[in-house]
Amino acid sequence: MSMERKIPIEERLNSNAWDVDQRPHIRIKDPDQCRKCDAKPCLYLCPARCYTPGSDGAVLFSHEGCVECGTCRVVCPSGAIEWNYPKSGYGVQFRFG
Amino acid sequence: MSIKFDAIIVGAGPAGLTTAQQLAQKGFKVLVVERGRKPGSKNVYGGRIYAHVLDKLYPEYVKEAPVERWVRKERISFLTEDSGTTVEFETNNVEHKSFTASLSDFTEWLGKKAEAAGAMIVTESPVDSLVIKEGKVVGIRSGNDEVYGDVVVSAEGINRLVLERSGLAPKLEPKMVGVGVKEVIKLGRKVINERFNLDEDEGVAWALAGFPTHYAPGGAFIYTNKDAITLGLVIYLSHGDKVDAPVHDLVEEFRLHPFINRLIKDGQLLEYSGHLTPVMGLNASPPSLYGNGYLVIGDAAGFLLHGGIIIRGVDFAIESGRVAAEAITKVHEGGGNFDEASLSVYGKLLEESFIMKELRVFRNAYKALDEPRLYNDYAKFINAFLKRYFDVDGTPRKLFSTFKETKGNVTMLDMMRDMVRMVTNL
Repeated sequence: MSMERKIPIEERLNSNAWDVDQRPHIRIKDPDQCRKCDAKPCLYLCPARCYTPGSDGAVLFSHEGCVECGTCRVVCPSGAIEWNYPKSGYGVQFRFG
Repeated sequence: MSIKFDAIIVGAGPAGLTTAQQLAQKGFKVLVVERGRKPGSKNVYGGRIYAHVLDKLYPEYVKEAPVERWVRKERISFLTEDSGTTVEFETNNVEHKSFTASLSDFTEWLGKKAEAAGAMIVTESPVDSLVIKEGKVVGIRSGNDEVYGDVVVSAEGINRLVLERSGLAPKLEPKMVGVGVKEVIKLGRKVINERFNLDEDEGVAWALAGFPTHYAPGGAFIYTNKDAITLGLVIYLSHGDKVDAPVHDLVEEFRLHPFINRLIKDGQLLEYSGHLTPVMGLNASPPSLYGNGYLVIGDAAGFLLHGGIIIRGVDFAIESGRVAAEAITKVHEGGGNFDEASLSVYGKLLEESFIMKELRVFRNAYKALDEPRLYNDYAKFINAFLKRYFDVDGTPRKLFSTFKETKGNVTMLDMMRDMVRMVTNL
């Protein structure tokens, strides 16, 4: 993989070791809150781009690729995110940390 | 069946594993509950460990611990799109002061030490909540299991869900933390030695500000491991709204900055990670670091010294782990019942250790470091000033006139004020 270019986030996340649970450990409780949210800090501050803009101001979320940092739950201005750690050792497996 | 432990530790990181090792070697029955597949698999940090705490605890660590390189070169840079100003300190002294390491490896090593001392580490088990009975923490809950202990030590890290859920810590606020993103890039040992001008076991620790965060409060770092470098940046979440690009793009822009890109040419990405980091020291501690049946150590306690250039987490984590074990031992020997009054010895021992002494001295560091001018105006100014000064073209340029010409919108009063704030708080 050449590094002389911006490596898309998906490709960077692919360099990690994963054991992704099918059950999401994070959930948007109330998507309406996201539609009303102007700032949407999750779109900018999630290191793994788990949050992407949807149509009509919605926010789409995917837990695959989540590096389990917790940033989204801290920056969400309306507390619309339900945040848990993945169960039973699932999720990202850092080999270097 | 209910098994009871002398101590239950939430989180197999540097803090929790130190408590576990220290207690287990004194014969305590210790359980460490870890959510990852193995100790270290959920840990992320910048890249360097200050070794002073290891001399006391693991005298054999120089040979045994998974040290990557000993830091003998320190760099501090203000970077703009097209220029950079760097201060570099180098020493020939081969004393073992700080080293780069992979935190996953290092934590795994601490785990082996704790197990060798007799501690039990259960992995793949996120702790959901504390079991509290009659106002006292008596155990932990993980899924359908409850486990009981005389005392519970929260070493769960900065994203302290367990303490929050138990009402023992307020919800994390953006001002308390930064988000760090990091890339591990393989280069090969010889290439690193050549490009960073290092001897075989020597490493560089490099802190950068300005361009990497698009001039928002925060900073970037590069550390050299043996065969790979770690590169990343931290954004203060209180200033997250001032960042004009997603953090996952910022780190790539930083990596592709011409001065950085040429150092890591032909590298190979090994890992991409993200983690929260405390940025307010004691100001982000839970209201109490101990109470009926529990203690808080490491990042969860806010024990990270963030002094702008020097950032110390692992040595504080390990020392707080050691202090917690000492406190628990004292309460046990005194026949105490691990209530708030008997565990106050933990508070006393923290005061005597470097933890509280140093964190108190730097209590207001965040106020100085929170100033956006540091990362924007000053980063640009120092580069503009030197560029102008060195740009000899036949017009006379004295230092002060160059200064006035390049200082931008910053007033002398701002500069004096910021200077005073830095000198008094950092």
